[in-house]
Amino acid sequence: MNEIKIKSKNLNVFYGEKQALFDVNLDLNEKEVTALIGPSGCGKSTFIRCINRMNDVIDICKVSGSIEMDGIDINDKNLDVVSLRERVGMVFQKPNPFPKSIYDNVSYGPNIHGKGETKSELDEIVENSLKKAALWEEVKDRLDEPGTSLSGGQQQRLCIARAISVNPEVILMDEPCSALDPIATAKIEELIDELKKTYTIVIVTHSMAQAVRVSQKTGFFHLGKLIEVGKTEKIFKNPDNKMTQDYITGRFG
Amino acid sequence: MTKEQRLIKRHRAEKRFKFYGLFSIFLALLFVLILVNNIFSKGSSAFMKTVIKTEIFYDQELMEVENGASREDILDADFFDVTIESLLKVYPTNGLEEEKQLINLFSTDAEIEIKLNFLENNNIAGQKIILEITASDDIDQLHKGNYPRDLPEERRRISDFQLKIFDKLVDEGKIEKNFNNYYFNKGDSRDPELAGIGGALIGSFYSILICLLLSFPIAVLASIYLEEFAPKNKITDFIEININNLAAVPSIVYGLLALQILLSTLHMPRSTPLVAGITLALMTLPRIIIPCRASLKAVPPSIREGALAVGASKFQSVFHHVVPLALPGTLSGTIIGLAQALGETAPLILIGMVAFVVDIPTSPVDPSASLPVQVYLWSESAERGFVEKTSATIMILLSFLIVMNFLAVYLRQKFEKRWN
Amino acid sequence: MNLALIFLITIFSFSLFFYGRSKSKSLSIENNYKLKALPKFYGYYLVLWCSLPSLVFLLVWTLFEPTIIKSIILKIAADQGAIMQDQNAANLIYEKIKAVYLGTYFGDIDSLLKESALSYAKFKNIFTNSKIVLIFLIVISSIIYALKKIKSNNKARDDVEIILKGLLFVSSLIAILTTLGIIFSLLFESIKFFSVINIFDYLFGTNWSPQRAFVRDASSITAAEYEDLKDAFGFVPLIAGTAFIALIAMLVAVPVGLFSGIYMAEYATKKIRRVSKPIIEILAGIPTVVYGFFAALTVGPFFRELGENFGLTVSSESALAAGLIMGIMIIPYISSLSDDVINSVPQSLRDGSYAIGATKSETIKKVVIPAALPGIIGSVLLAVSRAIGETMIVVMAAGLAANLTINPLDSTTTITTQIVMILIGDQEFDSPKTQSAFALGLTLFIATLILNYIALRVVKKYREKYD
Repeated sequence: MNEIKIKSKNLNVFYGEKQALFDVNLDLNEKEVTALIGPSGCGKSTFIRCINRMNDVIDICKVSGSIEMDGIDINDKNLDVVSLRERVGMVFQKPNPFPKSIYDNVSYGPNIHGKGETKSELDEIVENSLKKAALWEEVKDRLDEPGTSLSGGQQQRLCIARAISVNPEVILMDEPCSALDPIATAKIEELIDELKKTYTIVIVTHSMAQAVRVSQKTGFFHLGKLIEVGKTEKIFKNPDNKMTQDYITGRFG
Repeated sequence: MTKEQRLIKRHRAEKRFKFYGLFSIFLALLFVLILVNNIFSKGSSAFMKTVIKTEIFYDQELMEVENGASREDILDADFFDVTIESLLKVYPTNGLEEEKQLINLFSTDAEIEIKLNFLENNNIAGQKIILEITASDDIDQLHKGNYPRDLPEERRRISDFQLKIFDKLVDEGKIEKNFNNYYFNKGDSRDPELAGIGGALIGSFYSILICLLLSFPIAVLASIYLEEFAPKNKITDFIEININNLAAVPSIVYGLLALQILLSTLHMPRSTPLVAGITLALMTLPRIIIPCRASLKAVPPSIREGALAVGASKFQSVFHHVVPLALPGTLSGTIIGLAQALGETAPLILIGMVAFVVDIPTSPVDPSASLPVQVYLWSESAERGFVEKTSATIMILLSFLIVMNFLAVYLRQKFEKRWN
Repeated sequence: MNLALIFLITIFSFSLFFYGRSKSKSLSIENNYKLKALPKFYGYYLVLWCSLPSLVFLLVWTLFEPTIIKSIILKIAADQGAIMQDQNAANLIYEKIKAVYLGTYFGDIDSLLKESALSYAKFKNIFTNSKIVLIFLIVISSIIYALKKIKSNNKARDDVEIILKGLLFVSSLIAILTTLGIIFSLLFESIKFFSVINIFDYLFGTNWSPQRAFVRDASSITAAEYEDLKDAFGFVPLIAGTAFIALIAMLVAVPVGLFSGIYMAEYATKKIRRVSKPIIEILAGIPTVVYGFFAALTVGPFFRELGENFGLTVSSESALAAGLIMGIMIIPYISSLSDDVINSVPQSLRDGSYAIGATKSETIKKVVIPAALPGIIGSVLLAVSRAIGETMIVVMAAGLAANLTINPLDSTTTITTQIVMILIGDQEFDSPKTQSAFALGLTLFIATLILNYIALRVVKKYREKYD
């Protein structure tokens, strides 16, 4: 069992009047993949958006309770959200490369964070990130082309390369394969398996098969509540909760 | 540079950037404030005029008419002597020069005011009556405090002698400020105290009326055609491109168009609201068509299909259902278009509306000015009194525009349906 | 006269509506058939046939009657020995004849004038009478035609709709007619201008002083005279002045407008947005003559005094004052367009940037603005086209003398200013000076057309990208 990297305690999230998360207590282990499953609108995306405080972008969103990373509360007012996000990267549901060249997409993060002072250092970071994202071989001859010219699966790997370019500790993935075809999905899953050696990964997914394939730990959310969490094997073989049972056997969702 | 230093620097840049944005908005708002304040502080005094209470002696011996004379006779008669004799009594003078300076305290229309008073009370021959005679522009400006008195005499338009009379009149309480009726019911004049926007108001009214009558129906019909009936073909595309381009053509080009086609080719009368209205209508047309089409487009297809499904013809579905629903948006677009037309100056200058017109127009084919053109004309005049008049005219023009824009917003918010 | 005719036609059409409605009903009963449309459509059908042809005829007649009468009268006058060297003289004589006819002529009336006025009265009478008769004939014949159709039980609704659809189509053609009218009126005089002044002398000449080109017979200019003339119509100082003032305006409007737009779209709370956006847009609604007045009477003198304090000579009609005020006028165009454009950049791009730990301003500068750049460039181009076509501010605040200068404290002139200055007041027709205004107008028209076309294309392309 790996050490606990992130620990949420009594996490409640409100969108205006509406409560989206109820008292979520969830531990995420270091260098492991945690999958969050559950029906649409159950709060799994809201949960991972709390980990890098992307919810700050939404005006009406209020968060209470705490999320600790390495023992420090990330919801602390004094904590700088910019440096938090440097440590916690994110990959979105729909690939969202910037309308810039492939090279600029990857070098954007290091640039703003002041990593890679010289051109050659930057080149190295870009190359390493693209290699880690298993995209290097496909794009190394056309780094100047716009990121938007790539295929959907390539775009998503570009976004992963972008996320790891600043060398984060945690990577959040919000249904990263939902817009991709099966072949591209397989590639991304392979990649996740590789990445977990270096990074703590949290993946939100709709596909239970995917959760089984990539994760070591699984949490099931329903209507804003964390119903059950445990080893992936256990959750899918003999869950404690009736609702989890119903969901994974496809009786609702 | 350490990580912390870098972060501090980045956050400073963030604050700076946000400040630029806020500062830009502040600059724009500040300018609105300065402009409005400048115009209002200069213009508000124009709604009052200075009058001098003067005893007028309708001396039988100096008059050409008697009590009970007919209207025509009185209007034809000369009241010059009565005027001069009465005005000279205001202050003791010595010599022709001082007499002239005294007379110059009064408006050049003093004689007409005295005559009109006699016309109203046709039995005062031989009597002495206290009348409020309009003061000349210089005295008016002096009394309103717009004119510096501490300049050396040779740089002032008012002599020391005139100042002395003025101060005495003020002491005696003979100088007053009244509502400036001339400003609203007179036409243009070379004398600021007699100049009014009556003509320009009527001219603008006729121009905008004609513009409305021409542009609104044509714009609505054209929008309905393009949005509901036009086939997707080259002609339709060409019309669309034309409309978009026309909306961006500088207004002065419409002035050239009007000069060449309406005046030179069709021989329509120069300087008239008729030509102005047609010119403005041509200019406004594309600017109305664009919002009209947008509001027609906003009506969802389900409405049309609903009507067609009960057996209405295409025409009936459009005219019974779509057009009424799009009407608020159409009207508000029209009002905004008309507001722009009301403030338009350049094309009207080219069709000769800058002519000096004293008479108030009685029909759209009489020569006339319009409000913005009057602003331009007066702003070119050197007299101080015109600055105040110009600013006041701007105030009136702006209040019309504010009312129109407010109406447009109200219509849109009150009646426009949201489709979702 | 025309109003009375229109009134009569309207009244007559109205009554025909009721006639048509009841006639079609009774016809269907008499002849025992089912009407192919509701009775009221037969009423509409009659109304349209009665009013449309006659009103169109009346409009066309009214537009061309003065021109035709004028040419007839001038021909008669010429036959009787009136001397008309050129168009101006002819116009003058015609005005005199009309004044005699109206009784407002106060000069000596010689026999020629008197004869002409009499024939003017005669022709006016003939034209009016024939107008009435013709309209009467048109109304009668179109009603007879329509009644015949009704008797044969036509599909009145379809016919009415076809006519109305035609009316709609004609309304939308007005846009094309306007464009044609603009092109025709600009080209017509411009061609005359360029037949006198070599187009290269116009485009590349560096001296603009049209007042030197006093009236002369444009058709017979000697080479020596032309040497003198060609130097009066050099376009370079005007385009330089126009571009210079537009540049100053852009230097004011682009940063302020862009930053305002960015702040509105990215930072402002709903409340600030709701208040400040309409206030900024007031700037776009203020008539330009108001800006001109403000520039000429407040800003210009203010700059001159300020300059004096620093020992600079500032012209009271300076390019700086005009450009500054024009820039302020243009702020809302740039701010609201760039606000729109920035708002249409998808949120996912911002999220991507925030997620790597970029600050808001870094995201805006490095992701949002580059993504929105085509749209922003489009809005700036539209603003430029507005700046070069703007008239009143420069007429009132920029000056009249065509100086070729890059000193913003000097006065310069623009294309639009010169058009106004040449055409204000009475014009001499057929003089190169008057025609030059149309050549300037044509140049302006083409320039703004190109700018707008490019701008609209760029914006449209951009919109398609994110829709």
